[in-house]
Amino acid sequence: MTEVKLVIQRFNPMVDIEPRLVQYIVPKREGMTVLDALLYARDYVDHSIALRFSCRQASCGSCGMKINGRPRLACYTQVDELAGGEVVAQPMDNFAIVKDLVVDLESFFTKHRELMPFIVRSDPGELEQPAAEFLTTPKELERFLQYTYCIKCGLCTSSCPTVATDSKFPGPQALAQAYRYTVDERDEGGERRLAALDTTHGIWRCHFAGSCSFVCPKGVDPALGIQLLRRHVLTGKPPRGKGEGAQVWKPAGRPGAQAD
Amino acid sequence: MKESRLMLVQYATAVLAVALVSVHLLMQGVVTPYATAILFGNILSIYRSGLYAVFLESLLVVVLVHGFNGVRIILHEWNQSTSWSNWVDIVTVVAIVASVGYGTRTVILAIFGGGA
Repeated sequence: MTEVKLVIQRFNPMVDIEPRLVQYIVPKREGMTVLDALLYARDYVDHSIALRFSCRQASCGSCGMKINGRPRLACYTQVDELAGGEVVAQPMDNFAIVKDLVVDLESFFTKHRELMPFIVRSDPGELEQPAAEFLTTPKELERFLQYTYCIKCGLCTSSCPTVATDSKFPGPQALAQAYRYTVDERDEGGERRLAALDTTHGIWRCHFAGSCSFVCPKGVDPALGIQLLRRHVLTGKPPRGKGEGAQVWKPAGRPGAQAD
Repeated sequence: MKESRLMLVQYATAVLAVALVSVHLLMQGVVTPYATAILFGNILSIYRSGLYAVFLESLLVVVLVHGFNGVRIILHEWNQSTSWSNWVDIVTVVAIVASVGYGTRTVILAIFGGGA
């Protein structure tokens, strides 16, 4: 039986002074993912290994970590695709370590919330007593569809060089989501959202390294979203095409019906 | 001022600086040979031709604003405390005003004095 040499960075901030790398040997099987190897090590070799996971199918974004030096999802990375025959699992950079491979995502989600990642309507009554659906068109959807695929795994943020040096920078995930909602035809909160990100440590601190787009496991391009959002902030005009075809707030939610 | 406005200034001064420095190098190295261009009397005559004096003053302002604003951005990324940010902004404005003032003084002295 072939084996996998699994090296895990172990660190308990309550006990340890500094992280250390510990090697585990686990049996290899066909189609084995890094998460499979980690779970084997935890279940059969060392129960104290801490890691976060859930869906095992790249949907929940829980198992983000640095694998062989690159931020990846453990469940979405096959052991066979890693060169060298050794798997080195470390916690994501740019986050405080809770224990071993588990990091503290509190600041990540706080920044995400600060940029209002939801549809904002000027009339709150619409939301409390909806009389129709908020519709959009396929053409409108195309503009932000890729950004809806974000699973908030934090890999983009862990790879961002600006996040590493500027603790107040919102990060690529939050900014890409700000773009996603700002260009949505149904949203009316663009002004408030842009005011929140047009600050000293806001969207302008992106250096366009592009590492966020490089590591995204869902094919999202946050770097592009940030640049498009910058253009929007600078010109003060809505993104190209916004309002050129969307049919919003249709009575009874029927496509093609007359708008109010 | 909003950060977007400051960045707009940064981008505009970058483009202007490239254009103005190009013209400056063209005038001082190609149109007028470099050895002649740096002669004291020649420099004074350049300052005293109104159009070129305005050109040099523009170059001074554009390059200083771009440079100091760039340093401001680097310093903001270096430390994120509010007090630091406030000081950086104040010092940047003072540095720009002082540098432009000193450079302008040189231009004015060359125009009205200079000993030639």
